[in-house]
Amino acid sequence: MGTLNELFDPDRVAVVGATAREGAVGRAVTSNLLDDFDGDTVPVNPNYDEVLDTPCVDEVADADADVAVVVVPPSIVLDAIEACGEAGVRNVVVITAGFGETGEDGAARERRLAELADEHDLNLVGPNSLGIMSTPSGMNATFGPENALPGGLSFMSQSGAFVTAVLDWANDNGIGFKDVVSLGNKAVLDETDFVDHWGSDEETDVIIGYLEGIEDGREFIETARETTQDTPIVAVKSGRTSAGAQAASSHTGTLAGSDKAYEAGLDQAGVIRAESVDELFDSAGILGSQPLPDTDSVAIVTNAGGPGVMATDAVGDADLDMASFTGATSDRLAESMPEEANIHNPVDVIGDADVERFREALEITVADDNVGAALVLAAPTATIEFDELADAIEAVSEEMDAPVAACLMGGDRTREPKQQLQAKGIPCYFDPARAIDSLATLARYRDIKARDYAPPMAFDVDRERAREILGTVRDRDDNRLGVEAMELLDAYGIPTPDGEIVDSPERAREVAEGVDGDVVMKIVSPDILHKSDIGGVAVGVSDDDVADTYEDLITRARNYQPDATVLGVQVQEMVNLDDGVETIVGMNRDPQFGPLLMFGLGGIFVEVMEDTTFRVAPVSEPEAREMTEEIQSAPLLRGARGRDPVDVDAVIETIGRLSQLVTDFPAILELDINPLVALPDDDGGTNAAAVDVRLTVDPEALDAPGTDAETDPKPLDAEEPTDD
Amino acid sequence: MTDTPTTLVTATGDSAGKTAITVALARLAADRDRSVGYMKPKGTRLQSNVGKTLDQDPMLAREVLGLDAEMHQMEPVVYSPTFVEGAIRGTEDPDALRDRIREEYDDIAADNDQVFVEGGGSWTTGGVVDLTDVDVAELLDARVVLVAEYGSPNDLDEVLAAADAFGDRLAGVVFNKVSDDAFESLDQDGIPFLESKGITVFGAIPHEKELAGVTVGELADELGAELLTDAPTDAFVERFLVGAMGGDEALRYFRRARDAAVITGGDRADVQTAALDASGVACLVLTGGHRPSGAVLGKAADAGKPVLAVNTDTVTAIDRAEGVIRGGRTRDVRTVDRMAELLGDHVDVDALV
Repeated sequence: MGTLNELFDPDRVAVVGATAREGAVGRAVTSNLLDDFDGDTVPVNPNYDEVLDTPCVDEVADADADVAVVVVPPSIVLDAIEACGEAGVRNVVVITAGFGETGEDGAARERRLAELADEHDLNLVGPNSLGIMSTPSGMNATFGPENALPGGLSFMSQSGAFVTAVLDWANDNGIGFKDVVSLGNKAVLDETDFVDHWGSDEETDVIIGYLEGIEDGREFIETARETTQDTPIVAVKSGRTSAGAQAASSHTGTLAGSDKAYEAGLDQAGVIRAESVDELFDSAGILGSQPLPDTDSVAIVTNAGGPGVMATDAVGDADLDMASFTGATSDRLAESMPEEANIHNPVDVIGDADVERFREALEITVADDNVGAALVLAAPTATIEFDELADAIEAVSEEMDAPVAACLMGGDRTREPKQQLQAKGIPCYFDPARAIDSLATLARYRDIKARDYAPPMAFDVDRERAREILGTVRDRDDNRLGVEAMELLDAYGIPTPDGEIVDSPERAREVAEGVDGDVVMKIVSPDILHKSDIGGVAVGVSDDDVADTYEDLITRARNYQPDATVLGVQVQEMVNLDDGVETIVGMNRDPQFGPLLMFGLGGIFVEVMEDTTFRVAPVSEPEAREMTEEIQSAPLLRGARGRDPVDVDAVIETIGRLSQLVTDFPAILELDINPLVALPDDDGGTNAAAVDVRLTVDPEALDAPGTDAETDPKPLDAEEPTDD
Repeated sequence: MTDTPTTLVTATGDSAGKTAITVALARLAADRDRSVGYMKPKGTRLQSNVGKTLDQDPMLAREVLGLDAEMHQMEPVVYSPTFVEGAIRGTEDPDALRDRIREEYDDIAADNDQVFVEGGGSWTTGGVVDLTDVDVAELLDARVVLVAEYGSPNDLDEVLAAADAFGDRLAGVVFNKVSDDAFESLDQDGIPFLESKGITVFGAIPHEKELAGVTVGELADELGAELLTDAPTDAFVERFLVGAMGGDEALRYFRRARDAAVITGGDRADVQTAALDASGVACLVLTGGHRPSGAVLGKAADAGKPVLAVNTDTVTAIDRAEGVIRGGRTRDVRTVDRMAELLGDHVDVDALV
């Protein structure tokens, strides 16, 4: 049972602001409901006795409705919503526009609307929504031109126009829906609420979404993870490009956030992301109709060599494999196919094949346990009728456990067989790549379903100490901290080399003498970003040279930027870079998903190579491990070309500790540890060293009570990650 | 000649806070039931009011101190670019100028227990007519308070040079706008050093954004901007950020700053929403005469951040905005009140008034 059952399956729907006036939204909604809704439609309008031949009541309190659809003008919309609340109507769909999307007055109205919803505990859709639909009861509470066909897709959209466009197209293509909701401004109910509801709605096979932004990324991830265990979610997130992001900002005021955050966040949520509308419906269609493949191996059966090769390439591109047949399958194919046929995958039944040969080849291949999915690919020939082939594919697929997709390549002759197949839930396209991509979506969802989500990594840390260090940002002219905040890392157990920031040559010498071997010295200034570019870093300084080097560094900093604030010079233990690998661990707080962790190859290469990978924090141990495995230079960590492998577990632990730090302190807006030197495994020693740190802290967020995670229930048992 | 105690407030550089300190000192003296006079012999902060070029500072002094001296009395020399050009061509007679200043001063001094004289620009300003602040101090037999800024020990060179030039007339130094970062160095090393050289330091006033910055409201006035929101405009702006990058980059950049105004095109919704998300951004200045979308204005209202629109292009808007900040905030009564408080908290006022 979903959480919004009454909203989508009411007995009585009131239309507040119903009217018979031509061209009015209130008329369109009333008439749509009256046309198809199995339940009662109650127009509410004190100016009429009846609307469209239906008795009209003066007030929503007289309607005894489960759902109220509000279409009154903006000036009285808040009163109308309050009346709904007082009348005990729990579900309200606000179609009226003129809220946050229109400016200051609208924004104030929207805040008040959210307060009213909160006071009366309303499930409120919109405002600025096209409305909602639910096909089992025929409810069309929208002002769109068409009702949806029944089906298993539940669809949410942040654009009302996209809803009408999709329905028009879907109706032509025989695609049906369970529920449809136009999210509008998402003042109360947002994507997460619907993902939650449809996740436990048995009639919803697949959830699809068009989103420009996500209200609360972390909550969305948690909810979607649960939902996608049973119900796949496919979403188009627009505003991917910078031009697109700009358009989205203008449309809904959404701060787009980075596309990397969406990619990571949606992936962690188990949401399949579609790049285009075609991809959205291709994915949703096959997820709703075909079984999931057991393996990634695809068998291709074709009568056309060239397209067969194209399809094979598509298999590679989609990260699927070409199935290798068992000996028995090859023998059976050899027996039943002509000599010229290719009995290996892709199976080419050659140009003179009739439907019967096609069917036989298909039956033999899909019976092979090595085959996870099948593609039937046909070009027009004199010996084949596409409608007969469609019958054959349909018949074989009924016997199959594996998913199948079809490609009927051609023009008009393919139209009817294609519709026939699609009506049976077998995707059929012209382009082999599109069919293979659909099969790949099934494989992706199989993997998502099989996911086991581990709890976030948690360690015993000194949170109070960290808070004190973060608080030093208040003494700054801007919001940035640098190596002077190294102790922050110590407080969270992230290993740093020995060292200290000093403000005199004498003290520099004392510190250097207390450190084993030569030291590294660096200028410490919030105004100098690229220390090494101005000669602000000296490596391998012996104790005798420390005092002179101190003078050099200070002088260079002064020459480079006379007005720079110089906090001192950092004297630090040397980290052996020859044996280690420089990596970077960082975080940038995404406006929608929150802390986005980054891991990559570090040092001077990070900007050139951009070999990085991302996850939304907090991360679990397996997620942190995946990060170390995903980067292209991962072999360097494992000891490429005779080098000693580094202690990857120490890197993983650092990622986990950073994840905890940035989750505990929302005031940290960005943080980079560059480099984090990963060192060879030295039993008992420190195998990773955070050499430099830079962060941005929002002092206001630091001051705000209750914003840090102390109020969050978190796994309190400090758990050391396992060694393996 | 009168023997009215006279204090000349001079500075090591422009915009060091002379006006606020001079007028605040005069007011503190007036609070002690003394009648005070104010004078700025060389008008340097010029603005044209209906054809007549005048310094704003004497106008403020008149307002704060309730003086009835005429403007031309308080500001006998208008040190305008035209004046300086004339001076080097020999059209100005330094002796006549000295006489004029002396005359006006005598008038003011005669009626008051104490006179506060504000220098012009830096202490060296006026050299082309032999009227540096050193000359003025000599002329008016004034004791000198030197206002200096301090960022690093190198700034003490200027202080020493000025101290040397003023010689025995220098009563002491007041440091102003000292940032938190520099305070420790000044307090522990800088001040003891100056004292070891026989230079008195009256105190050090910390950097205060109320004094350094302009409010959003003032910025809007100075830029002639249209306010598109009803959000409060009392937040301070100390710096400008230009948003010309993508939204994601812009967000990082904006988040690092504090007390900033973001200047960007009215059509850059991505930059605008990023700016609204960053807590250190005090307001948005939109250029090009474009109105932002309603959705952006709605977000701005939710964030409580004012949005200003100007018709100029971004480059012009930056130039003008930088000018507003560089010239220091518009002096007003509130500035003087705050400075008087700061002097009380951080400076040996008894030694000064």
